[in-house]
Amino acid sequence: MAEVAALRILWGQRLRRDRWQLAIWVLGIGALALFSATAIQQTYGEDSSRAEILQVAIATPAILMLRGLARGASIGAFTFFQIFSFLALLAGMMSTFLAVRHSRAEEESGSAELIASTPAGRLTPAAATLLHGTAANVLVALAVFAGFTAAGLDPGGALVAGAATGAVGLAFLGVGLLMAQLMGTSRGANGSSAALVVLAYVLRGIGDATGTPDAGGTVMTAGPASWFSPIGWGQQTFAFTGDRWWPLLLPLALAAVSLGAAWVLLERRDSGASVWGALPGRVAARPGLNSPFALALRLQTGSIIGWSLGGLAGGLLAGSLGSAIAAVDLADSSATAVLRAIIQSQGASLTQIMISVLFSIVGVLAAACGLQAVLRLRQEEAAGTAELLLAAPVSRIRWLTGYLALGTASVVLVMFLAGLGAWASLASSSDTSMDVWAVWETAAAQLPAALIYLAVPALVFVLWPRATIGLGWALLAAGVVLGIFGGMVGLNQDIRNMSPFSHTPVPNGTTTDWSGAWWMLAIAVLTGAVAVVVMRQRETGTA
Amino acid sequence: MDTIIQTVELHKHFGRVRALDGLNLEVQRGEIHGFLGPNGAGKSTTLRILLGLAKATSGTASVLGLDPWTQSVQLHRGLAYVPGDVRLWPNLSGGETIDLLSRLRGGTSGRAAEGTPYAQRKARLCEAFDFDPGKKGRAYSKGNRQKVALIAALATDAELYLFDEPTSGLDPLMEAVFRRETLAAVERGATVLLSSHILSEVEVLCQRVSIIRAGRIVDGGTLDSLRHLTRTEVSFAADGVDTRALGELSAVHGLTADGGRVRFGADSGRIAEVLPVLGSLGVQGLIITPPSLEELFLRHYGDTSVAAEAAVGEPGAATARRRHLLGARGRG
Repeated sequence: MAEVAALRILWGQRLRRDRWQLAIWVLGIGALALFSATAIQQTYGEDSSRAEILQVAIATPAILMLRGLARGASIGAFTFFQIFSFLALLAGMMSTFLAVRHSRAEEESGSAELIASTPAGRLTPAAATLLHGTAANVLVALAVFAGFTAAGLDPGGALVAGAATGAVGLAFLGVGLLMAQLMGTSRGANGSSAALVVLAYVLRGIGDATGTPDAGGTVMTAGPASWFSPIGWGQQTFAFTGDRWWPLLLPLALAAVSLGAAWVLLERRDSGASVWGALPGRVAARPGLNSPFALALRLQTGSIIGWSLGGLAGGLLAGSLGSAIAAVDLADSSATAVLRAIIQSQGASLTQIMISVLFSIVGVLAAACGLQAVLRLRQEEAAGTAELLLAAPVSRIRWLTGYLALGTASVVLVMFLAGLGAWASLASSSDTSMDVWAVWETAAAQLPAALIYLAVPALVFVLWPRATIGLGWALLAAGVVLGIFGGMVGLNQDIRNMSPFSHTPVPNGTTTDWSGAWWMLAIAVLTGAVAVVVMRQRETGTA
Repeated sequence: MDTIIQTVELHKHFGRVRALDGLNLEVQRGEIHGFLGPNGAGKSTTLRILLGLAKATSGTASVLGLDPWTQSVQLHRGLAYVPGDVRLWPNLSGGETIDLLSRLRGGTSGRAAEGTPYAQRKARLCEAFDFDPGKKGRAYSKGNRQKVALIAALATDAELYLFDEPTSGLDPLMEAVFRRETLAAVERGATVLLSSHILSEVEVLCQRVSIIRAGRIVDGGTLDSLRHLTRTEVSFAADGVDTRALGELSAVHGLTADGGRVRFGADSGRIAEVLPVLGSLGVQGLIITPPSLEELFLRHYGDTSVAAEAAVGEPGAATARRRHLLGARGRG
């Protein structure tokens, strides 16, 4: 009986700790289901327009990677195709973070030891975490069901879709708890289990991209890779078309197996011990780690790799999208008529337009990558690590310019990889509607706006350090909203012009106006120079 | 005299708060100079100005003959600094951080091959401080983070070491290692400014001290000269001893008898005048306690503490005398 009481207390404590976090996850996932279903009905209200989009998607592996498994053009099936893999990805992330937060993280901080010293023991807290995580995933399933039903989709299909999301979440709850036994740090457990969630997403993406379309052209059978992914299993329910329940046995079985393994390890190991210890670090530094720039590179490598992969993926997608759309029969539909009108008015090929649009998004990624280099300056200062560096023979200016150089290099790298991706996918296809050189021109056109997001936050950092991080992201968000989405919501051109992204040149194959780029480059260089000069007189500290 | 650090009327204001209020500090070559004061007295602010991390509102500072604000890079080639709360890069190992800081200081080449003097010294220090350099920065405890900065500082030859409460978080054994290594550095010809509130550490290591209070140096000099100005505490068993003869001595202050013991304070410089009287009285259970740095310290910070007031007695006059002496030293 004591165990039941302890279980109830510990579950209550978990609910209390997570009440906001969990509410945001569950409501966020439910809202995503609702809004995406509503948006799809507004944008693609007709069966024919959905069928057209599906044909484009099936011809474009990059879209299938990001979306899902096409199972017909009905509104329910189309919504499931568009959004399920995201919902499942989010449920997986929520579950692994929850599992680690209430297991390894507690052991690491020492609070698990306090609990383990009470009659609750070592196993009851794990049971409470399991109960808590299961409840969270039931709520996620209900939220998805409610979201789809509220958007007017078939309740039966919505229930299958919700159950599939929750089942994927449960599978990763088990995976997260197992990783918490294997890894010695919460960072390691979080990182490895989140990587497994992403791996599941990518595996099903490969399965979808390599699937075989049926005769109708809107229904696919997934490739074998999908069968190695819990998210792929969820897709196999064919919600809204087949409404199959049996594939959900697979994620539930994975949950059971990983929980069983976690339980065996938990019963045998010491509190705080792990199967794999923390990886040892180097006893001595590599010869290259000898300058502020080398340190900045070391600290930023992870973030640069992340944004660069985003740039490469954006480039691959950009290069293949135009030919995929062109390959679809453009006979007679309103959507293609609009596209054709745009093509004629701009005098550019469809491929060129797609590359311009997607490169402007990649330009935001490049700007974010550069921005993070400047934000790191502030993080270093606030954490106190900058003091160690600046007490060595390193001038403030050398410190600042090191990060500015790194930021510039990473902005260029992200755009270079986007260009490389687009170039590679164009070169491997038979699409000759665009001069390949123009790909590099379009990539270069994004650089000045991104450099503004390096220079302006640097000036903020020098003049008003405390505001660096908040203002940095706010400026980028404002620039994206005004410059990239401003046109879609019909904002006044004067307001849109406040965003650097509005001044990015759009190469169209004939005459391109580069004046905006030169102006922005000049502003970025000037602002950066002012920041460097002012830095000479600035004190550094944690305040 | 070879002055390594000199500040003249150093002021540092943060808005209305006067963190430093006319600080005059002098550190001579080859000494270990204790910089004493409680939290918030301005120790760290002073060190940050001496490092060129902060700029003085007014007044001048000179370190190794250089202006710390405008010539900080040149200055930092000759000094090593250990902050009181060392923060490390979470994804760099301790060994990597030590190497990085040493390389930046120019104490070693990029190829820290085994067998070079730097590598040997680093290995020796890691062993002496019982430090595992192979862990990531985030995994170290407070004491181990201190060790990273201490090893990085001591692994290269610096002309001047600035230590800001360097042993916080270290256990007593490691404090002893720190003392030994600091003395070794001074033997090599280095100068040390040791900011601390651990009086025993300062008493063991330092020849001279400066006591800072509310942004000013309120007392300073050699430990002996400071002790001279304080009172030695004397007590013995009462046992019906007639203490009138003691009361007539001008070197004796605050004569009391309670709990079976007679107690008084004697001017430390005139203790010899008291001893014959004690001898003639034939006192038993005599205890003579020399003034500790702690007493000296309490004397300056004790004005909020009744106990300290009682121990010191007539603080106004004594402080005035000391101020006078300090002024004379400052000019000399």
